[in-house]
Amino acid sequence: MRVRAVALAISVAGVLIVSCQDPPLSTQQKARYAVDQASEAGSLRYAPVLFRQAEDILTNGQMEMARQNGRLAPFRDYRVADSLFNLAFTLASEAADSTRSRIQNLKSTSIAEKNALKQELSNFRESLDGNLTLFHAERHWTSADLAVSMSEKLIQQGEFYDALATLSEGRRALDRVRDILDEYSESESQSLATWRHWVDATVSASRAKGSVCIVVDKTAHRLYLVRAGRVVHSYDCELGYNSARQKYFAGDGATPEGTYSVTKVRHNGSKYYKALMLNYPNSTDQQRFKQNKTKGVISRYARIGGLIEIHGNGGRSKDWTDGCVALTDKEMEHLMQYVSVGTPVTIVRKSDRWP
Amino acid sequence: MFKRMSVLLLVLAVFLMVGCSKPPEVEMSAADTAMQAAKTAESETYAPQAYRMALDTLNAAKAAKQEQDSKFALFRKYGKSKEMFVSAKALMEKAGVDAKAEKERMRAELQSMLADVKMVLDSAQVALDKAPVGKGNKADIELIKNDLAGVNAAYTAAEAEFQAEKFMTCKAKLETVRTRAQAIITEIEAAKAKKSGK
Repeated sequence: MRVRAVALAISVAGVLIVSCQDPPLSTQQKARYAVDQASEAGSLRYAPVLFRQAEDILTNGQMEMARQNGRLAPFRDYRVADSLFNLAFTLASEAADSTRSRIQNLKSTSIAEKNALKQELSNFRESLDGNLTLFHAERHWTSADLAVSMSEKLIQQGEFYDALATLSEGRRALDRVRDILDEYSESESQSLATWRHWVDATVSASRAKGSVCIVVDKTAHRLYLVRAGRVVHSYDCELGYNSARQKYFAGDGATPEGTYSVTKVRHNGSKYYKALMLNYPNSTDQQRFKQNKTKGVISRYARIGGLIEIHGNGGRSKDWTDGCVALTDKEMEHLMQYVSVGTPVTIVRKSDRWP
Repeated sequence: MFKRMSVLLLVLAVFLMVGCSKPPEVEMSAADTAMQAAKTAESETYAPQAYRMALDTLNAAKAAKQEQDSKFALFRKYGKSKEMFVSAKALMEKAGVDAKAEKERMRAELQSMLADVKMVLDSAQVALDKAPVGKGNKADIELIKNDLAGVNAAYTAAEAEFQAEKFMTCKAKLETVRTRAQAIITEIEAAKAKKSGK
């Protein structure tokens, strides 16, 4: 009888000892810390679903632990609270890992995209600089360049989504530059046959007559002095500041394209050292001007202009004239020795006759 | 005997009245409402630390209440959780106020920056309009006009970011626009110098 009573007492004591669990404070603390770490890592922004789940489960765990705390000691069971804290810890850790990896990913993507766009911008700059100035393309290039600068700042601030959105705007602007250049090349290739014909006719006449003529290739920025069909000299030249197109009207900054001749040789009295006046506008120019006015391509108040010359004061390494062709004074001096009134001058946007 | 019974009943009634304390539902509801208001004020973004502290207090208050809920009715005491709910409500309200203040501070800073940058852009436009154009600087002026148009477009985009309350993006764009606009003014001066042959 005594043995039974002792056994019973031991069993009751054992049950009480087992039942009297401690609250899972360390697990709770671990989960709390993991949630805080995820929050600091930016999970609310980059892994919001996981982060919210971790937060909710941590709160549920706290509630469950509190519920058990309220019970009589032998009846407390913290297993559910403990597993909730463990789950919260796992989810918060996953949220933090996912956030760090997302940030790293976004950072490397935006840096790679920024560098790629910067490189393309540089390539397009070379294309634009190597050609006649296309002002409408320049505007889009500037927008793309601004987008790269802005994205650099946004990347520094950790605003990767906005950096990528800005870079995407920049890419669209660069696509416009590409479209303009493509359109321009297409239009050039369509007109190349006409320009080739003008140059061939001028050079053939020079060969036949053994006379001197001048050919200007606007894209190459070269002026060729031809005698009896052979190039005797070529010069770098500068053009109107807006020479990527045919001249339409006075003040448009374009150098005209067509077949002209020298009407006046000015050894003295020119504002630009020495000058050869051309017969712009010729009959073709006048006809085109009238047609453009009728079609509304140009204003009805526009004037056709004139005073197109080959003159000195060049050597500025850029297109700066209002439509004239400029050489250095020394080269102008050289050219003047060969040219007289009536010398044919053919100006084309592009020529494939000479390299 | 009757006297003893009366005393016992009185003691029991007092004990029950004291023991069956009322759960702080009103205080909890007020703290929850304050939390929603703080969230609406974007405290998580503009006052994250204050919000987190308030949220921790609110959760602790709820846990304290839960602990008492689980006890036998006679032993419940909600005094501590009630105090915690009151404190959580105050902290949530503070987080909301802090967030609004931070947002307003950023708004005011950007408004002033928008005005400053607009002034720089206007100065660039005036300088461009006044720049004497002649043979020699027309190409430069045309390029500057295009640059300025691009910069003005970027300024408009920054204004849109401001309206959409995307303050960080707006600030980054404005800083770039200001730098570019100042560079343009320098370019205009250089172009002017070319025209005047300096």
